[in-house]
Amino acid sequence: MTTAALSPAVPKPAHVADAVVYDFDMFQDPAYVADPHRRVLDMVKHAPPVFWTPRNGGHWMLVSHEANFVASRDVEAFSNGFATPAELSAIQLRMPPGTPHIPFPLPINIDPPDHGKYRLPLQRVFSPKTINELKDSIRVLAGELIDKVAAQGHCEFMAAVAEPLPVVVFLKMLGLPVSRMEEYRALVAEHMSDPTPDPMDSIKKLWKITALLRDDVLLRKDNPQDDIISMLWKAEIDGKPTTLDDMENYMVLLFLAGLDTVMNGIGHGIRHFATDLALQDELRKSPEQVGDASEEMLRRYTFTVPPRFVKKDMEFMGLQMKRGERAMLFLPAADLDPKVFPNPDTYDLKRENKTHIAFNAGPHRCLGSHLARVELQIVYEEMLARLPRFRLDPAKPPTFHCGHVVGVSTLNLVWQA
Amino acid sequence: MKIRIEKASCVGNARCAAVSEELFPLNDDGYIAVDAVDVPPGMEQIARRGARACPERIIFVVEEE
Ligand code: HEM
Ligand code: SF4
Repeated sequence: MTTAALSPAVPKPAHVADAVVYDFDMFQDPAYVADPHRRVLDMVKHAPPVFWTPRNGGHWMLVSHEANFVASRDVEAFSNGFATPAELSAIQLRMPPGTPHIPFPLPINIDPPDHGKYRLPLQRVFSPKTINELKDSIRVLAGELIDKVAAQGHCEFMAAVAEPLPVVVFLKMLGLPVSRMEEYRALVAEHMSDPTPDPMDSIKKLWKITALLRDDVLLRKDNPQDDIISMLWKAEIDGKPTTLDDMENYMVLLFLAGLDTVMNGIGHGIRHFATDLALQDELRKSPEQVGDASEEMLRRYTFTVPPRFVKKDMEFMGLQMKRGERAMLFLPAADLDPKVFPNPDTYDLKRENKTHIAFNAGPHRCLGSHLARVELQIVYEEMLARLPRFRLDPAKPPTFHCGHVVGVSTLNLVWQA
Repeated sequence: MKIRIEKASCVGNARCAAVSEELFPLNDDGYIAVDAVDVPPGMEQIARRGARACPERIIFVVEEE
């Protein structure tokens, strides 16, 4: 196994007290990468509820549930915008003539009040009603993927099921060619892997995505079909028809948010199932509990870490923060906070309060949560229905990667074929 | 029993409707459609569960008698 080097530690700014410094590299911390949620539990016990780490350029980490809940809803204090639209057009103007449009992932990178008008056109496509209509086709797809490996008695689950399922569902929803799935996956992996992105590097990566998508997006403008791209062409943003620039902004976000998340959620869940045979047995007997099981899985293994920018010099939970500093919403820790979830490390199907914030809270709350929930639940149901007891392969323990998405890289399972 | 909902803060989680679509109707965009509900007798427990399920904590049960 290779352990990558930690990023260099930067000096602590004067306004940060020694007591709130905690050395944690959110991309490379070795214990975190080895077994992410075990390390999170350790930090919930031993790290300050809000701390500053010198790694990756220096930034805040919000650990307690309260800190995350308050910060995600206080859009005057914590901003999602790495630049305002005005700043962005200034950058665009400084580029040589003929430079392509710089995509601006929307609505995730814009604060209220403008946020709402970019989110609204997407809201209906991702509403529970629309998503429910997809259930049958998702179930068929999940069944096919699992049946393909059932007879062999083992599989690397991420490549066999967890990756292809959400990607195919999503490409179909967007109306993109499923045959090019490998190209899309490679781009997502590349985009997610860079720990400290130079702004220009990330812009170049976004350009790769828009280049890959452009033909299909333009095709739908004149030949609308029953998919999201066609629907977005027909939508209006703030009373104006959608432009190609708007489309590219939406596409980069949906591309990144829809492809890399669900697969990792499925991975964390199935890894837990593989170590908890009693839970498998119970759910095979009473499958109507899979919905609850899936919610507790999201709480126990919350896995995204959304970034924020401090919007003004301020005091937050007794700490001085300065405008422009970065703060990470460490949601995996929030959902393991014993103040809100007693015995947080216990996976408890009967837990009274399962109201987790795996999809965050506040205006940026995940737009794809209904789709994600349907996919997670169906995969769990079909795995339990189609396979006998499955376990981790003792010879090949699971591997993980960490960052804004805490993901499962490989998950080798075995069962009696 | 009554339910009061701070409708303007709803972010469309639909967790309330997942508990009871009858008590917590959503509009087409997936946001809560009402800001007050009279809870029919016998549904008090479901009303409380729906309120607890809201991640934004904007559903309030008004106990009265
Ligand atoms: C289990 C899977 C998923 C998890 C855990 C998850 C988590 C999250 C979180 C935590 C946020 C908030 C980010 C922030 O506050 O900055 C978010 C936003 C978002 N998610 Fe998801 N997500 C998942 C699946 C999906 C899927 C399948 C889609 C499909 C399109 C999606 C689309 C979005 C969009 C568009 C936003 C931005 C919403 C806004 O800014 O208003 N997500 N997601
Ligand atoms: S659970 Fe809360 S935020 Fe969600 S739809 Fe219901 S009222 Fe709105």
